[in-house]
Amino acid sequence: MPPFFFYLLTLATFAVIYGVLVIGLNIHWGYTGILDFMYIAFVAVGGYVTAQLGLPPAQPAFGETYVLGFNWSFFPALLGGGLAAVLLALVAGLLSLHRLRNDYFSIVTVAISLILWTVAGNATPLVNGWDGITGVPQPLADVLNLDPNGYGLFYLGLCSVILILVYLFAQRLYSSPFGRALRSVREDEIVAQGLGKNVFTLRLRAFVIGAFIAGIGGGLLVTYVDAFNPSAWTSPETFFLWAALLLGGSANNRGAMLGALLVPVLFAEATRFLPNFYSPEFVNASRYIVVGILLILTVRFRPQGLIAERRLRIPKRKLLPLAASIASPGSVAPDRTEPNAVSSLLSLERTSSESEELHNGR
Amino acid sequence: MLQTLLLSLGFGLITASVLAIAAVGITLQFGVTNYLNLAYGDLLTFGVYIAFVANQRFGLNIWLGLLAAILLTSLLAWLINLLILRPFTDRGTSRVIMLVVTVGVSLILQNVLLALFGEQFQKYAVDTGTPLHLGPFLFTPLQLGILGLAVGTMLAIHFLLRSTRLGKAMRAVSDSPDLARISGINTRQIVNVVWLIVGGLAGLSGVVLALNVVTFTPTLGFGFIFVIFAAMVVGGIGSPYGAMLGALVVGIATEVSAVFLPSEYKTAIALVILILVLLLRPQGIFALRRHA
Repeated sequence: MPPFFFYLLTLATFAVIYGVLVIGLNIHWGYTGILDFMYIAFVAVGGYVTAQLGLPPAQPAFGETYVLGFNWSFFPALLGGGLAAVLLALVAGLLSLHRLRNDYFSIVTVAISLILWTVAGNATPLVNGWDGITGVPQPLADVLNLDPNGYGLFYLGLCSVILILVYLFAQRLYSSPFGRALRSVREDEIVAQGLGKNVFTLRLRAFVIGAFIAGIGGGLLVTYVDAFNPSAWTSPETFFLWAALLLGGSANNRGAMLGALLVPVLFAEATRFLPNFYSPEFVNASRYIVVGILLILTVRFRPQGLIAERRLRIPKRKLLPLAASIASPGSVAPDRTEPNAVSSLLSLERTSSESEELHNGR
Repeated sequence: MLQTLLLSLGFGLITASVLAIAAVGITLQFGVTNYLNLAYGDLLTFGVYIAFVANQRFGLNIWLGLLAAILLTSLLAWLINLLILRPFTDRGTSRVIMLVVTVGVSLILQNVLLALFGEQFQKYAVDTGTPLHLGPFLFTPLQLGILGLAVGTMLAIHFLLRSTRLGKAMRAVSDSPDLARISGINTRQIVNVVWLIVGGLAGLSGVVLALNVVTFTPTLGFGFIFVIFAAMVVGGIGSPYGAMLGALVVGIATEVSAVFLPSEYKTAIALVILILVLLLRPQGIFALRRHA
């Protein structure tokens, strides 16, 4: 098969893996409004742990050191990667999620991410330092025995299946009562709290769920690229994913996937064809410049993203009895409302232009 | 051991000087505009490379380069506010979104410098002079120059805030923009002037940072921004005098940590301080009265 096919296959695989990653970030920011700037650290932890669980024990004689090396098969290793990211999210979230205002929280997350990055690079015994990990075992490669193109197709299929599962899960989450509660936290924490929601637990759960998806995506990514070192997860990488989510459409998973296709794959790849006339870093740098411009333009001119969150308009005649039922707790709410919807409803009354959907169209 | 400790204490003083200039700048900006600015570190780097061009490409004295860095970074900060940030703040954009916007600005600035200058380490052509013994410490004349610049800047800022109409107006806007406006202060003009001052301080601190660490790349400022945040947070967010004290604490802590830990962890130490203070004592260690 021609090399061009292989190139397309590579792009498609990256788009699918980034789709998984951006959906995870969407649960943090789009669903819950958590300003998470350490997202890439979850991806990295997931990647490192997946790779290390699958690798044989380290052989320092060959100049490679890492802590795990359990020879696990792919799926348990991937699960382990996801769970490791969950553990990190629990630690970070329990520490700081309930104490800090959102913008300070984001500073703490970048700080945590940078500390982990410094440790990963300098404490060589952990994850082989700046050289990173290579030779990550490819799932089922020995059983299938395919040529590179065939195996590439197989891996694309595998990632696609996982993307579909993650997408279905995230959609389900969005329209569940839990998802509604998350959105009420996003719209107005104080109102959500006033209606008896435990804002901290809700945010922590969303943080953990998003981190699990990040870990899984990280496992897929590292397995695919086969080598991983700290230069692959610097802080700007987090902002790549942020740009993808904001451009595609926060709180909309189809938007998130579109963003994953546009930003890291199409835009980033397009810059590859720029003439490398000035300095060796010109292409790589221009990629981030484009991302920075995209980020600013999106927030300025299309803050809802390309595919906006689907918000159902609630007709006034339905809204009024509902508001009345909230005002007088004794009265019976219309049977189509659910208790959890109340919190979203109240927050929508504050910003009347933004309606929140009351009923999911499942 | 004592000798190394004292020596690192001396380094700490110099780092604190650099940090104090930078932290006062970002504190002034945060006080008046009320959003965190992640692009501030890259303003420092911009100043670093202005002085680099003046010094290495045009063969000017580093102090002339420093002057050029202050002026041009000041202008850049003013332009960034005018063209990018103000359209957002005029629409009442939340400070969370403002933070995301400054991330975009940071990515652009940092990578423009990367595209122009590449990621190889650069340095200024400057004579550090022969080290002098001052009591237990050992300083080069260059380091003493940095120390003097920092002290001079702090005095100037103190004079500005206490004794000039502009400084009083800045403090008023920082306390409450609405009250300041109905008292007849042109808040928009104050914000513009603050960006000029912030840019100048960024340019100045960038160049002295580069002089202090000797070699630099376009990511210098982005790595340093969190150390600056640490100094700001330790001193109490929004308090310029707190920021000076915070710079002293963080500067000395990071340099002294290098006695006990590999020096690669210096920045990580500042980050740990940042996290701990935000979590345990968000009003800052010194918790000066807010309405000073």
